[in-house]
Amino acid sequence: MSRIETLEGALRRANRLVALVLGVALVGTVLFVLIDVIGRKTGWGSLGGSDEISGYVMAAVASWGLSCALLDRAHVRIDLIRQKLNDTGQGLMDIFAMIVTNGVVLLIAYQCWPVLQKTIERGSRANTPLETPLWIPQGIWFAGWAWFALSATALSLIGIAYFARGKRAQLANTIGLGSELDQ
Amino acid sequence: MIWTVAASLLGLMALSIPVGIVLFILGIGVGEFYSAFPLLRGLGQVVWSSSSSSTLIAVPLFVLLGEILVRGGVAARTYAALDKWLSWLPGGLIHANIATATMFSATSGSSVATAATVATVAMPQAEKLKYDPKLFSGAIAAGGTLGILIPPSINLIVYGFLTETSIPQLFSAGLVPGILMALAFVVVTALICKARPALGGPSRSFTWGERLRSLVQLVPIIILFVVVIGSIYAGWATPTESAAIGVVIAALIAVTLGNGLGLATIAEALHGTIRISAMIMLVIAGAYFLNFAMTSAGLGRALTELLENTGLSPLGTLLLVVLLYLILGFFIETLSLMVATIPIIVPIIAGLGYDKVWFGVLMIVLIEMALITPPVGLNLFVVQSARAKGSMNEVILGVIPFVLVMLCMVALLIAVPGLALWLPSIL
Repeated sequence: MSRIETLEGALRRANRLVALVLGVALVGTVLFVLIDVIGRKTGWGSLGGSDEISGYVMAAVASWGLSCALLDRAHVRIDLIRQKLNDTGQGLMDIFAMIVTNGVVLLIAYQCWPVLQKTIERGSRANTPLETPLWIPQGIWFAGWAWFALSATALSLIGIAYFARGKRAQLANTIGLGSELDQ
Repeated sequence: MIWTVAASLLGLMALSIPVGIVLFILGIGVGEFYSAFPLLRGLGQVVWSSSSSSTLIAVPLFVLLGEILVRGGVAARTYAALDKWLSWLPGGLIHANIATATMFSATSGSSVATAATVATVAMPQAEKLKYDPKLFSGAIAAGGTLGILIPPSINLIVYGFLTETSIPQLFSAGLVPGILMALAFVVVTALICKARPALGGPSRSFTWGERLRSLVQLVPIIILFVVVIGSIYAGWATPTESAAIGVVIAALIAVTLGNGLGLATIAEALHGTIRISAMIMLVIAGAYFLNFAMTSAGLGRALTELLENTGLSPLGTLLLVVLLYLILGFFIETLSLMVATIPIIVPIIAGLGYDKVWFGVLMIVLIEMALITPPVGLNLFVVQSARAKGSMNEVILGVIPFVLVMLCMVALLIAVPGLALWLPSIL
């Protein structure tokens, strides 16, 4: 197995682990919300803050999950022109789409940093009864975008390497057009 | 501005760049070329506020609910139960296809998962009982689309979030048109099979004893639906809370009446949920940023100019929008089509004085059609992949009657807006 394939395998395993952790966090949110609802209905009193916490979990899913979806080729792409091309043409379009994605994701991650930076400088807390120090959820969220940027960069390089070596099948498997039918 | 954005949207998507990324590029472009002040600096804050939302977490929770029911084997058993109740109708099993699709759409909110499940269970039966493959597979593909109209619909949650429309109101607005469409599917199938008996398989009847015993499978799903939807309508729970309750009930059903939930099944369901939710979230964050950029760049002014220049009546503009969705629906998939067009289309429609809740329902019906119109109709591919033989053309021919029903529903909604707006008005 070449070094590229080792790298791709490691990236895949890491992202499967990320997905699992996010999934468990989601189950935790379900239980938390449930306890909150039961508490409110029975009059035992609510723990409070389930709204706020579930928002933070959502932010984590919506940032860390992005790279999992990228590795599974789940981000929707329109296959209108690409499907009419031959293997080389498709490979070039895949690499083009991957590099554009990579550039945009790097830019977004770069622009996300000031949000966290200001929170840390000001020591901002949420305007809620929990008074959550905002650097915690925002730190997790920013790390997710940084991880997405890292995964995208690695995938771009892996894609280019596969293309250069003429490994079209691996290229299609890594950054080609995924289908919901594969799942 | 609007035309440039619309043209770049289609152009960039045709280059097969991921839809969510295209929306970010457009937002950045609008900020650079049309806005007086730099919008890029606001990007991080917009991404944070669009994703840290306790409303949106209903999306992964409903996805998880559906994953549990499907992977836990509940869907397959429901199909068998519905068969006992419905196969006396002309068209036999085809009605079980539609009814299962309707029930699962009503609980899971995912069209593709529903179509995939019904197709896997139903296809072997169809061959054994010698059904005409066209109508049979067409009914599965079309029935699966009901999932995004009958609440709890993920698409309606996303629409509500992006247009700042009440999600409970959208849910109640989708209910009557959704059920009407399911009934219309059944009636159309029965009429076709009455006229051409060769298309349907044998009508079979089961004893009442068999039917009553099958209720064990049906009742829990109905309870799940009533609790999830009822708790939102009654005002006991927010959509997020009802989704959380629904996940727990679904897990209980899968354990007691399905195949159970092993660790491997749970891990698969969670992985699938994260994959689908993240895919949805990238598109939402992109659309949210594009929304922000267009509003900051003076969308209102551009819009007024556009409406004054077209010289069309409000109805004329609306019909143009409908036509646009019909055409785009041939090439672009449901959620992407919806989210990508919301920042441009909904302000136009609202500017003309149309109700946003009503337009949400109309848009969903148009987008359902996109799921089953070739060349890019996701449900067509899903159903085809579950078939052992035969060509894609058979599925495409089979959905034609159902596409016609959908077109009638679009016309009906435009002629009688009360169809969607009556239920929200009395709740």
